[in-house]
Amino acid sequence: MPTIHLNNLIKRYGEVQVLHGVELELADNEFTVLVGPSGCGKSTTLRMVAGLEDVTEGEIFVDGKPVSHLEPKDRDLAMVFQDYALYPHMNVAQNISFALRLARRPKAEIDAKVKDVAATVGLTEFLHRKPGALSGGQRQRVAMARALAKDSSLFLFDEPLSNLDAKLRGQMRAELALMSQRVQKSMIYVTHDQIEAMTLADRIVVMNGGYVQQQGSPEELFKRPVNKFVAGFLGSPPMNFLSGEIQDRSGEIYITGQGFDLLIEGEKAQAARSHSDRTVTLGVRPSDLRFDEAAPKNKALSLDVTVSEYVGAQSVLLCQCGAANVMVELASETPVALGQTLNFAVNQNGVHLFDHQKETAL
Amino acid sequence: MSGAHKKQNSVFYVLIAVLVFMSVGPVLLMFVNSFKLDVDIIGGTTGLLFLPTIQNYETALCDILWYEPEHLDFCALKFGGSFINSLIIALISTGLTLVIGCMGAYALVRFRFMGRDTVSLTTLMVRMLPPAVLLVPVFGLWNNEFCLDKEGLIGGMIRESFGGRGDVCLAGTHSGIILIYVAMNLPFVIWILQSFIVQVPRSLEEAARVDGAGPFQVFFKVVLPLIKPGLAAAAIFTFRIAWNEYLLASALSDRDTKTVPILIVNNMSEFNVEWGVIMATGMLLAIPPIIFTLFASRQIITGMTAGAVKG
Repeated sequence: MPTIHLNNLIKRYGEVQVLHGVELELADNEFTVLVGPSGCGKSTTLRMVAGLEDVTEGEIFVDGKPVSHLEPKDRDLAMVFQDYALYPHMNVAQNISFALRLARRPKAEIDAKVKDVAATVGLTEFLHRKPGALSGGQRQRVAMARALAKDSSLFLFDEPLSNLDAKLRGQMRAELALMSQRVQKSMIYVTHDQIEAMTLADRIVVMNGGYVQQQGSPEELFKRPVNKFVAGFLGSPPMNFLSGEIQDRSGEIYITGQGFDLLIEGEKAQAARSHSDRTVTLGVRPSDLRFDEAAPKNKALSLDVTVSEYVGAQSVLLCQCGAANVMVELASETPVALGQTLNFAVNQNGVHLFDHQKETAL
Repeated sequence: MSGAHKKQNSVFYVLIAVLVFMSVGPVLLMFVNSFKLDVDIIGGTTGLLFLPTIQNYETALCDILWYEPEHLDFCALKFGGSFINSLIIALISTGLTLVIGCMGAYALVRFRFMGRDTVSLTTLMVRMLPPAVLLVPVFGLWNNEFCLDKEGLIGGMIRESFGGRGDVCLAGTHSGIILIYVAMNLPFVIWILQSFIVQVPRSLEEAARVDGAGPFQVFFKVVLPLIKPGLAAAAIFTFRIAWNEYLLASALSDRDTKTVPILIVNNMSEFNVEWGVIMATGMLLAIPPIIFTLFASRQIITGMTAGAVKG
């Protein structure tokens, strides 16, 4: 089982630099998810690990050995592509066994492996069908089976679920999680969907604009984002951001802005006190706002409800706080009417403060 | 739908009938006349009443028949030999064109190199050149330049085993004609196949590379099966041209390597035009392309890449 080390990886297409020195250390049997918006360089990073893109500068080490000069076939990895990339002229069994046949394994071994893998992903009845006669979910399974059959020590996934409809995506996500527990291999998974990232990952790497923003466990990233981008990217609905000013009122730290005046306590207050710039961005997740009419003014936000999105047990309220939009998540049975101005208590542990200019967390 | 049916004008049917008559008529005429004696053909009796005879076919095929036709005292027409020449030249030139063409097209589509677009455009420009323009220089080169000295090692060996006089030149050999046909058809084949290769999703090739395929395995096991329809179309096109070509073959072939179209024209002399035999050889000439086209067109299945990738 390999440990993978990306050392100062840089990628340029002509003059355009798309990766700016990516530095990553991935442990054994770890499920790593690269996540970020379109064009952030996550797919490029994955393709460089796969050997499908040249490395402009830097090096990829697998178990301490540099591999960036090797062909994909010499890197002992399997890959699932975003668009499945099944061989349309081969049936499912031939698709799954393609790598084994290229490696000239004995026929009995190939047959056994195909049967075994097909059973794992539930394709046994479809072995003689061509990919054209399969549904999207089944094609996805074939792609997965093809990767599994190779018995590689590293699995790469390039947005494998992005072409499926919402229901199937949830189902495949669960199957994928199950599969990753069972096979116990190192996996690198690229997605732009933060829910996939949160549910599947042992380690999340958030990327933006060709830079790694933050990496760590899903919980760590969710609770302690290092900057505004990571805070806004992870979590659904996304975190609310309000511009404010730090005010020190005889020892007590307040963040004051349009329509709010919030008392900050604990370590965040310490950080704010020592911060040189007076202007900051206040971040609060929708789930850290609790409907409470009796909450004291300096520990709550008072919001004008403009839209209520009913999503079942939970509702999402879109509110105004001064000129800023604020989203609130609350139980659907809470009696709320549009146009009302309501008081929402702020969970002190859920308060995030970011530098106004650099957008880094205080 | 039924409304659209009713609207169809009878004029369309007349038009279709005329078109069908125009395309099938000559073939039908050739077929009927191939069973007539010359006397009947030029006798002005336009009717369909005549005594069918296979005499013309006997004359045409006299060199490969197992019996000697009664009406002939000398077998002047070597149809069998020419037919085999035509087959050799058409099949080998088609095969060569496809092999070189698909590789060339693949390189032009997938590899990045200096002057790629220029090369791609030039291949098609070459196609614009009329064969007649090629004829004179090629005739000169094939006869005088591309020769092996008869005193030389290989040339000497060829002269010893096959006989003949003079230096061993490309002119008058199968290879000479095949070479010029390949050169003539290659641009178009490359151009056609390019459009098919472009449609093969790149991720398929990447998947194959990850699965452990080398560059040639990617090409032969993944790309080639997927462009089979294109290969079939190109094959029909190339075979048809090579089979029918007259101008270059007439200049570059000799008595032993001439193809069927040339044989047919040779049947006309200033004293006599043997219409019946010409019709019969014409019918025979048409058979291989028909068989070839039927066989090749079965490979043209649309939607070969269906299911490869999610659109």
